[in-house]
Amino acid sequence: MSHTIKKQMNLPQSRERVWEAIANREALADWMHPNDFEPRVGHRFTFQVPGNPAVGFAGLTVNCEVLECAPPRLLVFSWSAGGPVANTRVSFRLEPEGDGTRLVFEHSGFDLSQPFGDQAFKGADYGWSKMLNQLSSLLTARSTQSQ
Amino acid sequence: MTAAPKSDVFVAISHEARRQMLDLLSESGRSVNDIASHFEMSRPAVSQHLRVLLDAGLVTERRHGRERHYNLSPGRLAPIRDWITQYDRYWDEHLMRLQKHLSEKKSK
Repeated sequence: MSHTIKKQMNLPQSRERVWEAIANREALADWMHPNDFEPRVGHRFTFQVPGNPAVGFAGLTVNCEVLECAPPRLLVFSWSAGGPVANTRVSFRLEPEGDGTRLVFEHSGFDLSQPFGDQAFKGADYGWSKMLNQLSSLLTARSTQSQ
Repeated sequence: MTAAPKSDVFVAISHEARRQMLDLLSESGRSVNDIASHFEMSRPAVSQHLRVLLDAGLVTERRHGRERHYNLSPGRLAPIRDWITQYDRYWDEHLMRLQKHLSEKKSK
């Protein structure tokens, strides 16, 4: 069992509409990051996560490859951002839900935590980590921008 | 408190062989020979990987006569789990942005 981030949300828009927002370069740039996505299996692309010098975040490149692309139902791409996030898998599944869409999101393959049960972490002293700080900085930068 | 590790935990687990070594050690402590028997690489190569894990504080080393024994120190993996938790928040934020993106598009 590998660690998986799972999220579900109901959206009032149709699957076709949601699909346009997840399988389109401009739309992804709007809610994710600048990218060179194309909706075609095997296409390799990157997300350019901008840096924030104010908090010492240099920015990073996420390397991806489209693994599955079945409009308006399923989009899967790999996600490699270095560190423990090498070749993880991001998937968006769109299911009809009334007039709208249920979005089932998963980011899986964080297999580094795999052999270690949750109990193994209990009582651990939490160490400093560069990447942790980087992502925190990124989130801070994002929320500042959106204000 | 544990002493500060000499090398980065993220670097230490970036190699597949080292992750497999941690897997093995999560079952029980093992000698170098035992660990080496699971890998098709030279003993010195195995020792080098163990050295990286040791420097990162992920394993501890004990000498048994001429043999070295290794045990897992899982607490040192906490930064990685923390990091994944941050990813969880990252997606919360970006899925909210997706929602916003969709609703703005609708109103136009």
